Amino acid sequence: MRLSIEHIVPIPMKDRISEYNSRVWNQKLTFNSGERIFIQAPSGTGKTTLIHFLYGLRNDYEGKIHWSAFKMHEINTEQLSQLRASAVSVIFQDMRLFPELTTWENLEVKRRLTNTVSEYDAEKWMDRLGIKHKMDSTASKLSYGEQQRVAIVRALLQPFEWLIMDEPFSHLDHANRQRAIALINEVAEMNKAGILLADLDDNNYFTYTRKLLL
Amino acid sequence: MKPLKQSKLVSKLLLRHRSNNRLWISLLALFAGTTLLLVAVMIWWNFSLILNGSVNNDSLGSTFLTIGKNVTNEMMGKKNASLFTPRQIEAVAAAPQVEDVGMLISNRFPVYASLSIANGFATDMFLEAVPDRFMDKRPFGWSWEPGNTQVPIILSSDFLNMYNYGFALSQNMPQLSQATIQALAFDLTIGKGGYTEHYTGRVIGFSDRISSVLVPQSFIEYGNKTFAPTIPIAPSRLILKVNDPSDKRFAEFLSKNDYTTNSEQLRWNRMRSVVETVASGTGLLAILLMGIGTLVFILFIELTIAKAKQSLSLLLLMGYSPRYLAMFMLRRFVPLIIIALGMSAIVATTIQDIASTRLISMNISLPDSPGLPVWTALILSAGTLLIFVTRSIFTALRSNG
Repeated sequence: MRLSIEHIVPIPMKDRISEYNSRVWNQKLTFNSGERIFIQAPSGTGKTTLIHFLYGLRNDYEGKIHWSAFKMHEINTEQLSQLRASAVSVIFQDMRLFPELTTWENLEVKRRLTNTVSEYDAEKWMDRLGIKHKMDSTASKLSYGEQQRVAIVRALLQPFEWLIMDEPFSHLDHANRQRAIALINEVAEMNKAGILLADLDDNNYFTYTRKLLL
Repeated sequence: MKPLKQSKLVSKLLLRHRSNNRLWISLLALFAGTTLLLVAVMIWWNFSLILNGSVNNDSLGSTFLTIGKNVTNEMMGKKNASLFTPRQIEAVAAAPQVEDVGMLISNRFPVYASLSIANGFATDMFLEAVPDRFMDKRPFGWSWEPGNTQVPIILSSDFLNMYNYGFALSQNMPQLSQATIQALAFDLTIGKGGYTEHYTGRVIGFSDRISSVLVPQSFIEYGNKTFAPTIPIAPSRLILKVNDPSDKRFAEFLSKNDYTTNSEQLRWNRMRSVVETVASGTGLLAILLMGIGTLVFILFIELTIAKAKQSLSLLLLMGYSPRYLAMFMLRRFVPLIIIALGMSAIVATTIQDIASTRLISMNISLPDSPGLPVWTALILSAGTLLIFVTRSIFTALRSNG
């Protein structure tokens, strides 16, 4: 699946956008399937806004975003669900877990949607990220770091061609981050998926094919 | 690892905030409203059956009326003055509310009846015939062809009543049951002078509708042709199938032409307007209740969805489709609606069954289960309800997603 971005400009930032020397806003970009993209976005440059545009959560922008045949400005709710369930997965900065559900229930809500990952794998991945013992804790009782690891495993419990991530490791220590990166790498390769990661500072978490400044 | 059902998880997320009280109240209102609606339709339907004569209820009077000309002093002595001319028959057929007109044709030949087992019982008598479609009963054996020696007779039950309660009591004679009369065979002699024919007459049934001694039309036609070929055949009375005899214009038509009818037969029809008022009053109340029920139900669904707004948008974010979530809600709530309406249907069926059983003793026969109009009302109201509920679910999902 190819991601094309054509001159997108967030309407609320329209007047300020020319001040940035952005390599993304108001540019024409094409990301081929399987690419690993890093977008470095200092505070206030619209990192989360970009992720929300790409995932179809907001549409207050000018320009066009295409996920292969899916045109985000014309997409209907059913197509958007299809895109989210089987092609584009996401890890939000604010995790977005169901606070009232347990860790396992949070994962099952996602896994059962497509049933493409086995329960065994899900459990194994929890174990790898060190959250298996928190399986029956409600999400609201988990620490930020634990919540972030649940959000990471959840994003992997569906088929995807692209994984987009917004500061996915902000609450993780070095060791946990390395385990998460290894898991993401492995599952993304299994899915032959591309990766798009947005973060504040430069990093080499993955072997990026392109680095862009927002 | 515990197996978790997807629908259970979604239910936990979306329906956790539901108010069961609101749900039960709305279901109760829907049940009561639908039951009342079905009862209203049943009242209207059962009375239509009685009034239109689709069921056999002439003891109540019916919309079949027999009319004749009022015999006045001026008419006395004019032999055919009381007969209807073809033009008059056409005018009656075209009168307001009249659906069908049949002629009551009487015999133009002498009929002499005697009872061989009761020596000495013998009388001159008259016979009449109407087209079969106006008969309230057509018992087995009700036919006659030239050459048949048996002549079936249908007697007005009024005549038997007159005999049993008037004549027999005053003359100290035995009262006769319908079965006794049906067991008797009369000798009928028709014609006069040199040429007579003999038949055996047997009463095979009693009519509540027509006050007369009825024989098959073919027998009267044969006798009139054989014994009185020169006398024109004109009816002295007409039998009418009338849509609504309580219509003023119909009553005016009768009085303007000086036709008489059994006004008692009109009485039941006055009840029709009462029944219609009751049925429409009940129907109105039913629609009001169903409206309230539907409204509370829709509010319940909207409130449940609004309270689960956060979970709902998160589910959509994870790739759950609005259609899946709507179907999930429908699968949860439609069965409840169907159960409520099903209970209404059971109540309606029971009421109809009880009513038909109870009314048998009053000589009113009603179907023992509700008919097509009742089921049509049920299906229509269920359809409308489901459309409203489905629309409200989709709208609520769209506005909260």
